[in-house]
Amino acid sequence: MNLNTKATAQNTYDAIVVGSGISGGWAAKELTEKGLKVLLLERGRNIEHIKDYTTAMKKPWEFEHRGKLTEEQKKTHPVQKRDYPYSEFNESFWVNDEECPYTEIKRFDWYRGFHVGGKSLMWGRQSYRLGDLNFEENAKDGHGADWPIRYKDIAPWYDYVEKFAGISGEAENFPHFMDGQYLPPMQMNIVEKTVKKRVEEHYKRSRIITMGRVANLTVEHGGRGSCQYRNLCSRGCPFGAYFSTQSSTMPAAVATGNLTLRPYSLVNEIIYDKESQKAKGVRIIDSETMEHHEYFAKIVFVNGSTLGSTFLLLNSTSAEHPNGLGNGSGELGHNLMDHHFRCGANGKAEGFEDKYTYGKRANGIYIPRYRNIGNDKRDYVRGFGFQGSASRGNWHDEIAELAFGGDFKDLISTPGNWTMGLGGFGETLPFHKNHVYIDKSKKDKWGQPVLAIDCEFGENEAKMRVDMMNDAAEMLEAAGLKDVKTFDNGSEPGMAIHEMGTARMGLDPKTSVLNKWNQMHEVKNVFVTDGSCMPSAACQNPSLTYMALTARAADFAVSELKKGNL
Amino acid sequence: MDRREAVKSVAFLIGGALSATTIATLFDSCNTPGKNSSNLFTADQEKLVTEIADIIIPTTSKSPGAKAANVGPFITMMIKDCYPEEAQNAFVKGLEDIEERSKKDFGKSFLEISVKERQELITKVRDETIAAQKTEKDKIDQAAKLEQDTKGAKSEKEQPGNPMAVKDKPKTTPQFFAIARDLTMLGFFTSEIGATQAYEYIAIPGRYDGDVKMKPGQKVYA
Repeated sequence: MNLNTKATAQNTYDAIVVGSGISGGWAAKELTEKGLKVLLLERGRNIEHIKDYTTAMKKPWEFEHRGKLTEEQKKTHPVQKRDYPYSEFNESFWVNDEECPYTEIKRFDWYRGFHVGGKSLMWGRQSYRLGDLNFEENAKDGHGADWPIRYKDIAPWYDYVEKFAGISGEAENFPHFMDGQYLPPMQMNIVEKTVKKRVEEHYKRSRIITMGRVANLTVEHGGRGSCQYRNLCSRGCPFGAYFSTQSSTMPAAVATGNLTLRPYSLVNEIIYDKESQKAKGVRIIDSETMEHHEYFAKIVFVNGSTLGSTFLLLNSTSAEHPNGLGNGSGELGHNLMDHHFRCGANGKAEGFEDKYTYGKRANGIYIPRYRNIGNDKRDYVRGFGFQGSASRGNWHDEIAELAFGGDFKDLISTPGNWTMGLGGFGETLPFHKNHVYIDKSKKDKWGQPVLAIDCEFGENEAKMRVDMMNDAAEMLEAAGLKDVKTFDNGSEPGMAIHEMGTARMGLDPKTSVLNKWNQMHEVKNVFVTDGSCMPSAACQNPSLTYMALTARAADFAVSELKKGNL
Repeated sequence: MDRREAVKSVAFLIGGALSATTIATLFDSCNTPGKNSSNLFTADQEKLVTEIADIIIPTTSKSPGAKAANVGPFITMMIKDCYPEEAQNAFVKGLEDIEERSKKDFGKSFLEISVKERQELITKVRDETIAAQKTEKDKIDQAAKLEQDTKGAKSEKEQPGNPMAVKDKPKTTPQFFAIARDLTMLGFFTSEIGATQAYEYIAIPGRYDGDVKMKPGQKVYA
């Protein structure tokens, strides 16, 4: 072999982290704090905290199209434009779909952001623990592979990441709704408080309504400012008041002096070394210059988002790993899940005409899962939680259809009806047939083949939605709301932006890709700790679990490294 | 919840319900893209848009109106930048119709008739729009019902479909008045005048209070 040893030495680190989003930021923080020299690779541009949140302080009238998309933007963003997240308000945080096509065997809405911080800048910030109900359910009802861990394994790591990230919320001591380390909760408004009281009384606290547990600070925390109640989080927070790579994990990693961040670094392949049976590094495409480079390290953390990481592993083939790195099980790329949502109920709250709210709260209420627990048995398995909120808008009952004129203007300038809505977030099941694979018939802007996605929801999800609607309506009616109406706007895989499962953890290397430490069964120095590792989806918003699993895996990886096992 | 809130707040912002045309424009995937031609409107049509917007949202004792907030140029810019060709054409056609009717009914250009006459004319256009939308909706509902009935007669196997699919909104004809009204309200309430004088704008609330006693003259927060 003809090695340029000097260049190799310059490009060698203790650890490489692929991706700088929620889990990659955590991996970089944990590994650098434990003394490793870390190269953090991000395929997109850098976004510097505060300085590069270019729309964060803009006033409504400073947006030329007031948030709406132009025909040109719709043309170049045929996927991103399918739902509300892509708008003029944070346009630059979303990918140009024409540059990174993929094949939809069935409709799959793939929302992506290529930049430092990834989706940690635009995420919904709801932060819930999984409990043993969730960790045991695959084994109990036979769907998917058993989780190789239980709550006791991850609980200290939930504590650890919650304390650092800053999650506001309230402990409830409600069965299977695991409490954590919380900053003071945000405040419910008067209608939510009233509905909470009535619902909890009606169901004798077998159902509860709690304030959303959210990664927004309600008090100053770790040098970051508290929430200013603007509800403009997805533009980037100039106060650092919600958890993102930029506000939280990146400054911690930088402070160690051990971090090298390289933006515009699209990792194309993990390089497998036949001799050591480990990864020796990665090959990247500089996404600006198109040049290829190689970097080397003792361990590699893969945090490129569920489908990004899965593509990278599938694309890393060698004689020993012809079907993708660590894919002896054949499960890599399979068992894709998302949450299903966009159905529930809403109604009108009367009797609060003399009440209004001040400030804009980027959070709502949460109703944790109560279905298929204990003696409750439904015609489907698993369950759902509800998110919702009450608010007072400017709509008044007396407004006629297509009204216009001075009286109309003055009327809709004053607070109108109070309404409250509940929307379910349902668990989806892991099925082998819901999968992704590499499609070589197309190329992306960087010359890579693309991913084909073949995923659909099934009968279990469809049955669950009936309860999601009817339960929501029943609770709102029990709380005295009027004109309660159910809705089901349909839900396509990808829409919840909670894609997960395509490189699942498990006890058995024959049926899973990762072991209980998020370590590849077959390539011991590669760890995958983003959403792809999830053996089941549960119904809770998943990012907090990625954080906890990442910190846990980093701790294990460094201890193995020290023992000389890697 | 951010997701639902975001969609809902847009709906509230522009007065409770988005018109079918606006929804189609925002979310549809099968439109012919609009042509961003600088000469889509004549100079007189641009003036016409300004005056129509000021009938929809006029100055009142409580706050200035659409003309003061410069909503006219906003509307023509939005039609050029953000609307598919079919809606652009419908909008221009709507302006031509209004001008023609003004001449027929009042013998003068819309730009020369009184505010009262303008209100009268716009009221007629509005009523016709409601009627046209109702006719179209009835047709769509009927077609949907027919499809449902035919499907219902078939066996389960003959209609494999995804019960959870996001259904495309039925294609509707873009209506001039509905677009004009949507854009007037959007443009006005997000303008500096609309947001700070009709509504109350607080850039940094700094706190949340979910139980505030309404004060006399309480405005909506922008």
